[in-house]
Amino acid sequence: MAKTRKHLYEGMYILSATLSDDARQKALEKITSGISGRTGEVHKIFDQGRKKLAYEINGRREGHYFLIYFSIETPHMTEMWREYHLNEDLVRFLTLRTLAVPERIEFKSIVQE
Amino acid sequence: MTFPPRRPPVEGIFVKKRKQCPFTSSGIRYIDYKDIDTLHQFITERGKILPRRITGVSAFYQRQLTKAIKRARHMALIPFVSNE
Repeated sequence: MAKTRKHLYEGMYILSATLSDDARQKALEKITSGISGRTGEVHKIFDQGRKKLAYEINGRREGHYFLIYFSIETPHMTEMWREYHLNEDLVRFLTLRTLAVPERIEFKSIVQE
Repeated sequence: MTFPPRRPPVEGIFVKKRKQCPFTSSGIRYIDYKDIDTLHQFITERGKILPRRITGVSAFYQRQLTKAIKRARHMALIPFVSNE
């Protein structure tokens, strides 16, 4: 049997901005329960709020951004992606492997000479 | 036809200032796609990625930078093309 390892992931999700507060909460729950239902663990959720999209996606001009840090066994990721593509409330998503869960989302500015 | 020999560059006028990689000098180890303010400094107004011969970014960080910009574009954080 192949060994499966748990890895830490960072997922950015854009939910449709047209959803009501309840519907948005439900859509977010759907994502988090999809993680925890597959023996995964949600570490932190950053609500980044409503933002204007840089370009129109399926007629949408705004989106509600969420950043979720979670750990899950790697083979479950492909199942989750399939689920995300079928989810109509989810405009876009991006999941990446990370090394640590940050306390805050902030960045160092670069020094230009 | 022969050309006259080129005059040697006058010192102090044509001395080229060596560009330094902005990421190396400010100690950034990983370029994050969420850091839009930084990414905006390396794209044109049109939204194209600037070549490193202009920005002076090292090859190592330019590879990270292009990846970060492309991720940010996918998440609609920065435009693919902007007509403004």
